[in-house]
Amino acid sequence: MASLADIKGVGLGLKRELIPQIQNLYIEASQQDLSIHDSLIANINFVEIAPENWINAGGKAEADLAWFVERYPIVCHGLCLSLGGPDPLNKHFLKQVKQFLSVNKIPLYTEHLSYCTDNYQGKTGYLYDLLPIPFTEEAVKYVAQRIRQTQDILGQHIAVENASFYAAAPISTMDEITFLKAVLQEADCWLHLDINNIYVNSVNFAHKQDPIKLAQDFLRKIPAERIIYSHIAGHYQQSPTLLIDTHGKDVIDPVWDLLDTAYQLFGTFPTLLERDNNIPPLPALMREVNKIAAYQAHYQNNLAAPQDSTLATC
Amino acid sequence: MLDFQRYQLAFTAHIRNPKLHAKPANVVEKRMSVYRESVFNNIFESVSVCFPVCQNVLGKRKWRHLIRNFVANYSAISPFFREIPQQFLAFLENITDLPSYLKPLAHYEWIELAISSQQTRPLSTQQTLNTQLNCMDDVITLAPASALLAYDYPVHKISKRFKPAAIEKTYLLVFRNTSFEVKFIVLNPVTFNLLSLTQSQPLTGRLALTTLANELQHPDLDLFMRFGAEILHDLCKQQAITLSQNTLDINIPQ
Repeated sequence: MASLADIKGVGLGLKRELIPQIQNLYIEASQQDLSIHDSLIANINFVEIAPENWINAGGKAEADLAWFVERYPIVCHGLCLSLGGPDPLNKHFLKQVKQFLSVNKIPLYTEHLSYCTDNYQGKTGYLYDLLPIPFTEEAVKYVAQRIRQTQDILGQHIAVENASFYAAAPISTMDEITFLKAVLQEADCWLHLDINNIYVNSVNFAHKQDPIKLAQDFLRKIPAERIIYSHIAGHYQQSPTLLIDTHGKDVIDPVWDLLDTAYQLFGTFPTLLERDNNIPPLPALMREVNKIAAYQAHYQNNLAAPQDSTLATC
Repeated sequence: MLDFQRYQLAFTAHIRNPKLHAKPANVVEKRMSVYRESVFNNIFESVSVCFPVCQNVLGKRKWRHLIRNFVANYSAISPFFREIPQQFLAFLENITDLPSYLKPLAHYEWIELAISSQQTRPLSTQQTLNTQLNCMDDVITLAPASALLAYDYPVHKISKRFKPAAIEKTYLLVFRNTSFEVKFIVLNPVTFNLLSLTQSQPLTGRLALTTLANELQHPDLDLFMRFGAEILHDLCKQQAITLSQNTLDINIPQ
């Protein structure tokens, strides 16, 4: 049974395209009588899946999942719980999640600080996207209560992710970091820190200020003791003032710098590379996975900040 | 309802149907459009990938319009992305201005996804996919993930160039083999009836064929049984049906 302590080091978001590539590496390793720890994917310590794509998936997906459960600790990163949604929490779904976590020995479930349902024409309706919660006192209390309810049903702590967003709600009465900290405090839950989202939001709401400074300031206000897990990813630049969180490109340098700062400030924590679009072959993804591992190694060995030249060759 | 929820509902109402619902006051239009496009494109992609032939037959403009209507007017109740196409199918039920073959076609396109993700129990030890068992003397069941289907149109032939004008009954067996591939077999009406019989009660191949021959008052029972055995053997080889030992001594033909 994988435990929370097994979620450590570096992880990779598990996409269907990657499964045969990973499985082939296991076959090759076994044919050559080598350990997978000596292969291309030695630095993958764990994988992450969206429960919405794997619960009751049947057939090939079920067989693939069983294969990974045997070999890797897994994190569930949800998309559709709708923690900020106006309709009641979907308890039936949460019970399915609970069962899924238990059957597949998954120790960690995280969700977004966003909503994806409405109450349209009197019925709950899923919109399958991450929509922004206005930052108000009422919303803090409401969302925190739903996180607590989720933790009660699951019988375990969850982590919530700082979500990327594009449209500021004019009714907001506080900034994002104040909202985030208040929710974490009120819900008494963990933080799933998304490094790329900090950067995306800093650019999207820079209003002519320096986004890098805004991102660094945001990071410095994070309650370190609540960080349990983190994401890093690439994004799409629609314009110099608008970034879209597509997870479809390589991670850019300012985001690597933020990860570096985060490790420096808070120590290292398990970090996963998300890649959901334009997925390159595994060797290209592994360059980024290895880069995360190199950052972690530097801080774990208590060395000075890594040099760009050493990281470029990892 | 709380203030922030009123805002959230105005936000989603606008995303669903921007023509009918204005965006919430003072939200930057350029930023609002990110959400409008993202929600629509996600759902458009999820639906379109499952129904390529429907899309092709209707044409791009009508297809887009149909999905706009789906986003605007349908409350999807499943948190599972995989089930978006199924909900689209339910939405189509109440759409009236579609060619009569379109709903059967949509069902036919969806069933492939449904069978590929259908959850199954492992085969019992008495059930086997190999052909060592005898399809005449053993009990026949359809593959664990499968559907026996009757359509009013030849759904498997529909394309931009072939849009059926008249009803033409069409029988299909859809199943998943042990390599997780979803296969379609076009059945003649007799084979369809034969497999339907085995679905309603456990039958050996021999009894299913005898029952059917009697129903049809077939003039040459031997010939009918020979052909029937060949068909069952072939279905078994393709993993469309499974056999299990006749431990209950059922169906001893008179």
